[in-house]
Amino acid sequence: MSVATLDVLRVTRRRRSVRAAVVTTVLALLVAALFVLTMMVGSFRLTAGQVIVSVLHLESNPGVDFVVRGLRLPTAGAGLAVGLALGASGTVFQQLLRNPLASPDFVGVTSGASLAAVGGIVFLQAAGLAVCAYALGGALLAALLMYLLAWRDGVSGYRFILIGIGVAAFFDGLVGYVLSRAKLTEARQAMHWLTGSVGQASESELRILLYALPVLLPVAVLLQRHLRALELGDDTARALGTRTELSRAALLATAVLLVALAVAVAGPIVFVALVAGPVANRLLGPATGGIAAAALTGAALLLTADLIAVHLMPAPLPTGVVTGAVGAPYLLWLLATTNRRGAGG
Amino acid sequence: MTRLRAEGLTLGYDDRAVVSGLDVDILDGKVTAIVGANACGKSTLLRGLARLLKPRAGAVHLDGTPMSAMSTVDVAKVLGLLPQSPVAPDGVTVADLVSRGRYPHQGWFRRWTGEDHEAVARALDATGTADLASRPLHQLSGGQRQRVWVAMALAQDTDLLLLDEPTTFLDINHQVELLRLLRTLNRESGRTIVAVLHDLNLASRFCDHIIAMADGRIVAEGAPGEVITAELVGKVFGLACVIVDDPVAGTPIVVPA
Repeated sequence: MSVATLDVLRVTRRRRSVRAAVVTTVLALLVAALFVLTMMVGSFRLTAGQVIVSVLHLESNPGVDFVVRGLRLPTAGAGLAVGLALGASGTVFQQLLRNPLASPDFVGVTSGASLAAVGGIVFLQAAGLAVCAYALGGALLAALLMYLLAWRDGVSGYRFILIGIGVAAFFDGLVGYVLSRAKLTEARQAMHWLTGSVGQASESELRILLYALPVLLPVAVLLQRHLRALELGDDTARALGTRTELSRAALLATAVLLVALAVAVAGPIVFVALVAGPVANRLLGPATGGIAAAALTGAALLLTADLIAVHLMPAPLPTGVVTGAVGAPYLLWLLATTNRRGAGG
Repeated sequence: MTRLRAEGLTLGYDDRAVVSGLDVDILDGKVTAIVGANACGKSTLLRGLARLLKPRAGAVHLDGTPMSAMSTVDVAKVLGLLPQSPVAPDGVTVADLVSRGRYPHQGWFRRWTGEDHEAVARALDATGTADLASRPLHQLSGGQRQRVWVAMALAQDTDLLLLDEPTTFLDINHQVELLRLLRTLNRESGRTIVAVLHDLNLASRFCDHIIAMADGRIVAEGAPGEVITAELVGKVFGLACVIVDDPVAGTPIVVPA
C-alpha cells in the first residue's frame, strides 16, 4: 500500500470523526440549553441559574423548587426523553428499510398505538397509566403484525413501507370508527391524546420511559455497526458475516420499543421521527447515520416545537400541532425529490 | 484437498431445486469462471458456496469444515463475496463504503485499528480507486463504481473471493480492466478467485479454469482450451459456433456459425 493513500485515508477519517464530535457536542449543548429554557419561561419567569440550581438540588428555595421540580421538570423531561426516543427510533427505521420515508409514523406502529389508546379511552374508560399501557401494547402488536405480513425471506424496503401504509390506513379508519361511537367527553379526551403533547405526560408514565432510555439508546448505538452492514443489502451483509435476520430483529425491536414508549408517554407526535435522521445526516455528512446525533436532533426539534406550541402561540397548543405544521411541507418536499431521483427503494 | 469444496450440494428457492447433487472443488490460487446459459444455476451455486443459500442437501466445506458448523463471521474472514447488485446508502463516500468491508474483523467494542486502516488503503491502491476516496459513490462511472465494490470486498482481506457477474453492466473496456484487475490480484497475492461470467471469450482469456453449467449440473470443467469447444457451446447455450484461437493470447474464441 502506498503511504499517500494511507495519509489521504487518515485525513478523511480524522475530518469525519472531528465533524461527528463537534456536531454531537453542539447538539448536546443545544438540547441542554433548550431543556433549561423550557423550564425558565411561563407565567412565572425564572433565570437559567435558578432552574439549574433547583434541578440539581444545589440550594433549597421552596417557591422556585415547586415551579421547577413540581410543574416544569416533568414536561421538560418528557420533551427531552420523547424527542431522544423518536429521533433514534426514526433513523434506525429509515436506515434499516433504506428509505427516508420509512419512519415509524408511516409504517403503522404509531397508528397501532393510537388505535389501542383511543379504544382504551372510549370503551374501557382508561386514563393515565392505563392509556400508556394500551398505547405500548398497540404499538408492539402493530409492529408484530407488520413483521408477519412483510417478512417473507427477509424484507424489502418498499414492500414493508407499502404494507405499513396499508396497515396505518386500516388502523386510522378504525380510530375514526371508535371516535364516532364515543361519548363527547371521552371523544375530547381521545382527540387530545391523538394530537400528541409532551405536557400530557404524568410522572408515572414518564418514569417508565426514563428507565428504558438509558438501556435502549446505548443498545441502539452498539447495534449501529450491524446497521451499517445491513445498509449494503442482505447479500453483502451476509457475505460480510452479519447474522442478518438476528441483527435486523434486534434493531427493529429496539426501535419499536423506543417509539412505542415515546407514543405511550406523549401520544403520536408526528414528523419528529421522520425529520431527525435526515437532519442529523445533513450535519454529519451523507450516509453517516449517527444514531446519537439523530436522537439529539429529535430532542432539539421536540423541545423547540413544544416551546413554540406552549409559549409563542396566542393560546397553548399540543406539541403535535406544531410538529405537524412544520413536518408536512418537509414530507411533500421529500416525496417530490425522492421520486425524481428514483432512489426511493 | 482444496480449501473450498461442495459435496452433493442441492440448492433451491421455495420448492424448486436449482442445483442438485453437485460436487465441485474450487482450485486453490486460481481464477475460476463459472459459465452457463441464463437460469442454469451458476449464480445459485456461487451463492451456495458463499453460504448465502442454505443447502437442501449436501454441504459446502471450507478448510475441511462444513460451513454450516462455522460461525458466519469466521467464514467472512476467509471468504468474501461481491453480490450481483449490492446496494449503497445514499451519498456514501468511497472511503466509507470500502471501510465497511472491515466488518468481520471488528467486534462489539473493538475500535478502528491501524490494521483496518492498512487493509482499506491496500484495497484502494490495488483497485486504483485511492484518488476517489473522498468522492460520493453515485457520482462515479459504472466502471469506477464496480472497482470500488471490488475494493470493499478486498478490504475484507479474505483468501477466497467470489464475484457474481462482476462485469455485467460494464462496457468492453471496463470489463477487460476489471478482469485484468482480478487476475493481478490473483497473481500478486495468490488469492483464489471465482467469478460468474457471461462472456466466454473474456472468461477464456482471463481465467485459469472454467466450470460450465447446464440445468443445475456441471457439464464440463477444466482449462479454457479443453472446455470451450463447439460441442460444449452447442450443448450448454444451444448455439452453433466455430472456435478459433485468440490472435493475442491463443485462448479460444467463440464465433457464432
